[in-house]
Amino acid sequence: MPGVNRRIPAGLVSAVVVLLIWQVVGSVGPLAGDSFATASEAIVALIGLFADSQFWVAVFETLQMAVIGFALSMVIAVPLGLLIGLSRFTYRSTKFTFDFFKVIPPIVLIPIAILVIGPSIAMGIALAVFANVFAVAIQTAYGIRDTDPTLLETMRCYRMNAFQQIRYARLPSAAAQIAVATRLAATASLIVAVVAGLVGGAPGLGRLAALYQSAGTADRTYAVVLTLGILGLVTSRLIVRLQRRAVFWSGR
Amino acid sequence: MTTAAISIRDVRMDYPTPDGVKHVLGGISYDVTEGHYVSIVGPSGVGKTTLLRLLTGLAQPTAGEIIVAGKRLSGAPEGLAVVLQDYTRSLMPWLTVERNIALPLRNEKISKANVRQRVKESLTEVGLEGSERAYPWQLSGGMQQRVSIARALAVRPRILVMDEPFASVDAQTRFDLEDLVLKVRADFGITTLMVTHDIDEATYLSDDVVVLYGKPATVSDIVSIDLAFPRSQVETRNDHRFAQMRTRIYEKVRGLS
Repeated sequence: MPGVNRRIPAGLVSAVVVLLIWQVVGSVGPLAGDSFATASEAIVALIGLFADSQFWVAVFETLQMAVIGFALSMVIAVPLGLLIGLSRFTYRSTKFTFDFFKVIPPIVLIPIAILVIGPSIAMGIALAVFANVFAVAIQTAYGIRDTDPTLLETMRCYRMNAFQQIRYARLPSAAAQIAVATRLAATASLIVAVVAGLVGGAPGLGRLAALYQSAGTADRTYAVVLTLGILGLVTSRLIVRLQRRAVFWSGR
Repeated sequence: MTTAAISIRDVRMDYPTPDGVKHVLGGISYDVTEGHYVSIVGPSGVGKTTLLRLLTGLAQPTAGEIIVAGKRLSGAPEGLAVVLQDYTRSLMPWLTVERNIALPLRNEKISKANVRQRVKESLTEVGLEGSERAYPWQLSGGMQQRVSIARALAVRPRILVMDEPFASVDAQTRFDLEDLVLKVRADFGITTLMVTHDIDEATYLSDDVVVLYGKPATVSDIVSIDLAFPRSQVETRNDHRFAQMRTRIYEKVRGLS
C-alpha cells in the first residue's frame, strides 16, 4: 500500500494501535477496574485539565526545572569536558570517577536533596544537573581526545598553534559527541524533573500526578502521564532537528 | 653551485618497542636541491613516512640533523605545506573549501580580500574554480585531493611535502593529479618531497628518486631522472630511458641489486 504509506506517518499507526490495546486492556482486559483508567478516559481527563490553571502551572514548573537543569548541565559540563579532554592524563584520571558518578541514578539523591535544598524548583534543577553533568563532560572530553590525529598533524605542519587546533579542529570534532550527549541530557532532564516531583515533592507535573493518584483520580493521573509522553517526544524531536543543523557534516 | 633547500645529515631514528629499541633509520644523508622534485621510495615499512615526519618537524631524529634555510629543524619550518594521502582526514568537514584553504593563512598578516584572492588563485590553479562554497564531502576524492593541493599552494610554500598523495584515488584521477603536480611544478618550482610506493609515478614526476632500503634503512640509491620537461603520460612513459630508470629503481626497492 504505497499510497497509504505516503499519507499516514508510520509513527501514528503504532500510536493508534497502542491506544487501542490500552483501551481494551483497561475496559475488558486484565486491568479493568476503578484503579486503572482507559485510554479514552485519560484523553477526556486531559482535555478537561486544559481548562485547569493548576495543570498549566505544573507544566510550566516542570519545563522550568528541565530547561534550567539542562542548560546549567551544558554550561558546566562542556567547558569542563573540554579542559579534561585536553590532556591525556586528566582524561584518564577523571574518566574513572566520572563514570562512577554517571551511573548513580539521581533518584537516590532525593533524600539528601530534600534535606539540603528542600522540595522546590531548585531541587529539581540540582537533580537534573547531577543527572547530566558527568555524562556530558565525559562525552565532551572523549570527543576532544578523539580528534583525528591526522587533522592535528596537518595543522601542526601549517604551524597552527594549540589554540587554533582547539578552535578549528578539537571543538568541531567534539561537537558530534556533544550533540549526542545533548539529546540524552534533554530527555534525562525532563525525566528527572518529573521524578523530583513524583518522589521528592518538588513542584510540577510529577507532584501533580502523585496528588491525583492519592486522590483516587486515575484518569487524571494518566492524563499527566500522557502529557509527559508528549513533552518528551516534542523535546527529542526538537533536539534531533537542532542537532542535524549544528553538526551537519556528521556521518558524511 | 646549486644550493640545498633541505640538508639531511646522518639522520638516525630509533623507536623504543616492548622488544627493545627498533632502529628505523640508520644514517640518512641527502641534500635536496632548491626547486627540485624528489621522490622517496622503498619497500613497505622501510621508514619512508618516518623520514617525512622528521622533515615536517613532527618528530625529532634520534641523531643527526636536518637543515632548512640554514637552520636546524625543530618543529615545522616556515614555508612548509603538506598534502597527505588521506584527504578525508586532513580536510575539515565542518569548513567550506574556501575556509579550509584559508585556515593556514591565519598565521600570515594579510587582509581578508587578499586571503580571498589567494584562495581563488589556488583553486584556479588546481582546476576547481568556483568551488569555494562547497564542503569537502560534497566533492569526489580526486577533487578533495585537489583542494588539499590548493590549500598547500595558498600558503606560497618554499617546501611541499606529500605523503602518498595519489594512493587513494582511482587510476584515471591519479594520472590527472600527476599532471596537475607537473603543472604546479612548472608554474612555481616549489621544492617538493614526495613519498610514494609507485615507482612509475616517482620516475614520471621527479628530478631525483631516493631509494631507502634495509633495516635500519639507508639510502641504497639516488637515481637522477634526467628526462626532459614537459613530460607527458604517453611519451615520457614510452621513452626507453624511462623504462631503464624504473627498472633500476624497481630492483633497488626489491633488494635485487
